[in-house]
Amino acid sequence: MHPSALYSRAAPTWREKLAEVNWGLILLISCLASAGFAALTAAAGGSVDPWAGRQAARFAVFLPAMVAVALIPLRVWYALAWPAYFGTFALLVAVEVMGHIGMGAQRWINLGFVQVQPSELMKVALVLALARYFHGAPGEAVRSPVFLLPPIAAIAAPMALVLVQPDLGTAAVLGLAGAAVLFLAGAPLWLFGGGLVALAAAVPVAWHCLHDYQRARVLTFLNPSADPLGAGYHITQSKIAIGSGGLWGKGFGEGTQARLHFLPEQQTDFIFALWAEEWGFAGGAGLLALVGLIVVYGLWAALSCRAGFARLLALGLTVNFALYVFINTGMVMGLLPVVGVPFPLMSYGGTSMLAVMGGFGLVMSAYVHRAGRL
Amino acid sequence: MHRPSDTLRQAQGRTALLRMGFALMFLILALRAGEVASWPPPPQPHPYEEPQRPRRGNIVDARGALLATDIAGQSLYADPHLIAEPDTTAQALARIFPNAGDMTQKLRQDARFVWLARHISPAQARAVLEIGEPGLVFRAEPERVYPQGPLAAHLIGHTDVDGRGLAGVERAFDGALAAGQDVRLTIDIRLQHALEREIGAAMETFSAKAGAGAILEIATGRVLAGASLPDFDPARAGAASADRRFNRLTLGVYELGSLFKVFSTAAFLEAYPKEGLAARFDTREPLRSGRFVIRDYHPEERILTTAEVFEHSSNIGAALMAERVGTERLKAFYAALGLLEPMPAWPLSEVGRPLVPRPWRDISTLTVSYGHGIAVSPLQLATAAAAVLGDGRLRAPKIVEEIGAPVAARQVLSTATAQTMHTLARLVVTGGTAKEADVLGYAIGGKTGTAEKPGATGGYDSTRIISSFVGVFPAHAPRYLILIMVDEPKGTKASYGYATGGWVAAPAVARLVQSMAHILMIPPIGESGNNV
Repeated sequence: MHPSALYSRAAPTWREKLAEVNWGLILLISCLASAGFAALTAAAGGSVDPWAGRQAARFAVFLPAMVAVALIPLRVWYALAWPAYFGTFALLVAVEVMGHIGMGAQRWINLGFVQVQPSELMKVALVLALARYFHGAPGEAVRSPVFLLPPIAAIAAPMALVLVQPDLGTAAVLGLAGAAVLFLAGAPLWLFGGGLVALAAAVPVAWHCLHDYQRARVLTFLNPSADPLGAGYHITQSKIAIGSGGLWGKGFGEGTQARLHFLPEQQTDFIFALWAEEWGFAGGAGLLALVGLIVVYGLWAALSCRAGFARLLALGLTVNFALYVFINTGMVMGLLPVVGVPFPLMSYGGTSMLAVMGGFGLVMSAYVHRAGRL
Repeated sequence: MHRPSDTLRQAQGRTALLRMGFALMFLILALRAGEVASWPPPPQPHPYEEPQRPRRGNIVDARGALLATDIAGQSLYADPHLIAEPDTTAQALARIFPNAGDMTQKLRQDARFVWLARHISPAQARAVLEIGEPGLVFRAEPERVYPQGPLAAHLIGHTDVDGRGLAGVERAFDGALAAGQDVRLTIDIRLQHALEREIGAAMETFSAKAGAGAILEIATGRVLAGASLPDFDPARAGAASADRRFNRLTLGVYELGSLFKVFSTAAFLEAYPKEGLAARFDTREPLRSGRFVIRDYHPEERILTTAEVFEHSSNIGAALMAERVGTERLKAFYAALGLLEPMPAWPLSEVGRPLVPRPWRDISTLTVSYGHGIAVSPLQLATAAAAVLGDGRLRAPKIVEEIGAPVAARQVLSTATAQTMHTLARLVVTGGTAKEADVLGYAIGGKTGTAEKPGATGGYDSTRIISSFVGVFPAHAPRYLILIMVDEPKGTKASYGYATGGWVAAPAVARLVQSMAHILMIPPIGESGNNV
């Protein structure tokens, strides 16, 4: 059936929608996840236990779920935007109150059968809510400060909660993704200028509130060689890993930095370093190219949408995904301070994968229903 | 198609900006990835990659027998970060290395590398493997072994646990050995065995404290054997006492008594070549000089010829000779023989400084003529004696074989005097103090020495002596010089209570010469050099 048929009919059949699902994007996502399985296997010294197997099992569950999300009419998601936002916000508050403490930071909440990290879900929920808010907003309204106040609050509130956890990286992703949606929705430029000024003014205050280890990370970022065996250990070992991979890498399972446990958090935040050590610059650049293709696909899908909600949702989620990668790889390569942001789909972790794949499900839903007006 | 509104234009513009932002970020990441990937890995001190020391060169004797070599070995270290149960692991290790002490402390250290045991045996390595602890790691490490055990230990020297030379040839030629080059010594292990055996036997027979000796090849100055007893196993030098490690041959200096009459008599013959052997010396009365009185050990109490003074080892006669030679000439002669300064050309670092009279008074000239008031190392004395009892030419002793290198020799006395000294030395064995040194067919000539050691309160202690013999053979045209010195021998029934050079050292030299004759296949000859 010709796609133009979608424009002619109000409600396409499930079959027609299934044909419209972005199978190319799913292929790219599967490639990225598979690279993750390989890296996780290497991180466990060539064993699928304990990481790669579970990660693959989750992927197997989330993949059909993602397609299901894509097939659900976009208006359902439109309707669920605020409930999702407030539900996730409640979970974030719950983490504050009774959260499980892991690695010195409260990030997880135990739902009995599974542990979730609400801050990961919030990245999707926030974009959903902001897209919902700006849907159909006229240009004059977007320029009015009163109209802009609620979305700014919607961004700031979860950011504050996440900062308290403390999780600088996720807070940065939330803030930047939120700002990107505001920007794309047409918010006036003075808002961003003012935001930057406010941020600069907040730096001394924030510095005062930071934990010692966070301060050490920032100082280490500014001068990594000051304490190479102490606070600079993570980033030094990570750069050694990438550097020792050279152009073509050491080969699968041959990464000594990871195998001998020099590389910290190799299965989560530093998985890119492990990948680059084993597959070299070529492998690292290939991985980034894969991410680039997914981003381009996401942008193309977003710009195909008619409805403001669909377009902003797809754009915001794509920006979200790209920010994950930029912050993670920037951190691993010493461009940014170590803030604890996973590499999407590759880093071990269920909630992160759920959020990323759920996000892509929404992007595809926006594309599948691109012709609709909600 | 309607004209896009302002809002739409703005949205398109901002999306374009976003795309440019993405492109820029990807570019930055790719550039950074390339930069990081092209960095050489920074030098990181790492236990797994520490360079091993290369194989150290061998030390071999003159005929190529191995004296020191590296064998493949292994050492054990711990990576405490990998050890889960330090206490149980330490207990298991204690059963394998009972003498290593408590290893718990080492296993609990916050480190990635701690030595536990160096140079372990294959059986120990197997037992460690059976513990099955991944934090216990082996490192291949060459091990220095000395196949001849303690033989010539003081000359070969030894290394520390990391293979750095600490003494002897191991130290003096550390650079060449560390670079993997072999070092060939002038030592012949067969002669070395014989020398150490005879010194050891003399020490045991006469309950002596220590001993030293050397065999020199007169024409070249090569040290064919050099011994200092008691000795030690160079492979376990650290466990040996300082006394055992002390090199009595080149580092220790001793008053060797009448052996010095070899030099004072030669000095007299050089000073009075015409009078020579015809000179007469009145030894009937002890010689008084100021507050000193010089007596003879075996008093003849008559007027002696030069030959008789030497043959019977008369201190009075030697002092009278020295008096006629004069302080300046005697001192100059001793200096020419290298007896007043440390051996200059000995390549090893264990070199003793002679004790000489300071200030050198006229009475000193009299006493040093029979070896009192002057202390030199045994090898130093052997070197000088090889010149005087040899061909009159002084050669620096050699321990390392230098193929094709010319032998530097310096004439220190006339050939005629040297010839006369052969005759006198032979007389000592045929009719003088060293009859025990005679070996039929090998015409040994030499000189005994029996010196009292300095007492604890000044003066000399007549109960503690050093007995020695320096000899050459064959006496008419000497090829080999032998010195044996025994420290604090005690008289036995068989020696009628005597522990003099003639009873202790001379027979040891005789037995050594018999062994040398067999080893070197020297045919026996008549007194004047014709075949028997």
